[in-house]
Amino acid sequence: MKTTLTIAQREFASFFRTPLGWVVMALFLLLSGFVFARFALQPGMPASMRDFFTLWWRILVVITPAISMRLFSEEHRAGTIDPLLSAPAGELSVVLGKYLGALCFLIACLAPTLVYAGVLMILSNPDPGPILAGYLGVVLLGMLQLALGLLASLYTSSQTLAFLSTLFILVGVEFTATSLASAAPAPWDGVLLGLSTDLRIADFAKGVIDTSHIAYFLIASGWLLSLATLALRARRWR
Amino acid sequence: MIELEHVSKNYGSVAAVRDVSLSLGRGQVVGLLGPNGAGKSTIIKMVACLLAPSLGRVRVCGHDTIDASAEVRSQIGYLPEFAPLYPEMTAEGYLRYRAGLYPLSRAKRHAGIEMAIDRCHLREMRSRRISALSKGYRQRVGLAAAILHEPRVVILDEPTTGLDPAQIRQTRALLRELAGDKLVLLSSHILPEIETTCDRVLIIAQGRLCADGTPAELLGSALAETATIAELAPGDAHRAPELARALQAAGAANITIEGHTLHVKPIPPTPGTPRADPRHLIATHARALGLTLVGLHTPRPTLEQVFLRVIAEGRA
Repeated sequence: MKTTLTIAQREFASFFRTPLGWVVMALFLLLSGFVFARFALQPGMPASMRDFFTLWWRILVVITPAISMRLFSEEHRAGTIDPLLSAPAGELSVVLGKYLGALCFLIACLAPTLVYAGVLMILSNPDPGPILAGYLGVVLLGMLQLALGLLASLYTSSQTLAFLSTLFILVGVEFTATSLASAAPAPWDGVLLGLSTDLRIADFAKGVIDTSHIAYFLIASGWLLSLATLALRARRWR
Repeated sequence: MIELEHVSKNYGSVAAVRDVSLSLGRGQVVGLLGPNGAGKSTIIKMVACLLAPSLGRVRVCGHDTIDASAEVRSQIGYLPEFAPLYPEMTAEGYLRYRAGLYPLSRAKRHAGIEMAIDRCHLREMRSRRISALSKGYRQRVGLAAAILHEPRVVILDEPTTGLDPAQIRQTRALLRELAGDKLVLLSSHILPEIETTCDRVLIIAQGRLCADGTPAELLGSALAETATIAELAPGDAHRAPELARALQAAGAANITIEGHTLHVKPIPPTPGTPRADPRHLIATHARALGLTLVGLHTPRPTLEQVFLRVIAEGRA
């Protein structure tokens, strides 16, 4: 546990020590600010962040690969993976430490957007339930996307390749799920729609906290992190 | 402290290490010497639990590197070639991070970091960002990270690559100091570094262990094959074949003549008698024939010659 936290702490701090972290955070706040101003802060519109959260899949699909792309790719490129793996830290500790560091950075990016909810509270009287559910959905979506990005970064020393492969898989799965579902016979249409994270986020944005959605995100993230742990172990004993 | 039992490592169809067996004890600096691609780094990575042997077993401090990998990793300190570090961190920040990866109490972590900073002469640079440090200081930070948890085995891959002569001297002195109660295994293809730093030299070629011994032993074996050079006075040059015949009659089998110079290969020892010094034989026969010797010496072999000979034999 101590090792995991040590790695997480270094990973989290490194985002703020490099220009990449600040650029990602600035881009994130710029996009989220634009979406908030355009879709939530409109005169005559209901005091709700529903449309704001509905559009977050499109923001996170670019932001999370940018956060996760360096997790292992940079270690491979710089050669720091060898001293890291020669320390008595287990592969699971290394994977979890890097994942937690990246997740904490994503949450740090999200934290300033609470100001938007504050602004809405000052201007109107929104229901806090859907707002909290929306944030929960965004964090869960971020967890899944970061887990996928971490796995992709394990297989290449190129950050660009890690970014593009994560983006490609995320967009590809979403596109496949939503576009083929209408043409697929039952029960495959339901299975395909079940893969869509965008639809699940839409439920959170409405204020619906469905335990099946929570289980989906947690199980899928856990599965991807387990794959990453196995991939790292396989690398050691190749 | 390090034992390799019939270790082989294949990358696909390429054999990087072939049936290497060795045993290394504490208190010595052991140099792994070999040309590029000989298998040095592969051996080092197998000892550092970064690669698994395809065949055989590797044990460090009695633990198998596969079955008890975590125990092995807590006993070793490893510095890869070019000392890879995180440039955005400070030297001290990096050492704190590395110390956090080992099962050490807070007090031991603190003591270990201070010890490593002192031993690697990093006190003035501890607050500097690694990206602002010179190559030599980065190497020292990497070395400090490898020793801060007081490992029993220190493994260094090309530790002086890119350092200036003063930095190389400091690193050598530090390695000698470390060897007191530890085993230091370093790989290099820089021969003077191995000769001056190591107690024991392992020469690897084509993935095989081709020579193993102290530098003195390896040089001694080369001395036994080094020709003695006898220089006759220029006026006696025409009588050089006469001296060669006399030496051959006395047992020296391999003699070449170049002008007034004779190259006499060592005389094979007869069982039960010590190896004869060819210089005595040459001097005695030259005097008996009334020849004037103006030069008589056996050049001291260098580790480079030993290395080149062993590599050539390994390739053959």
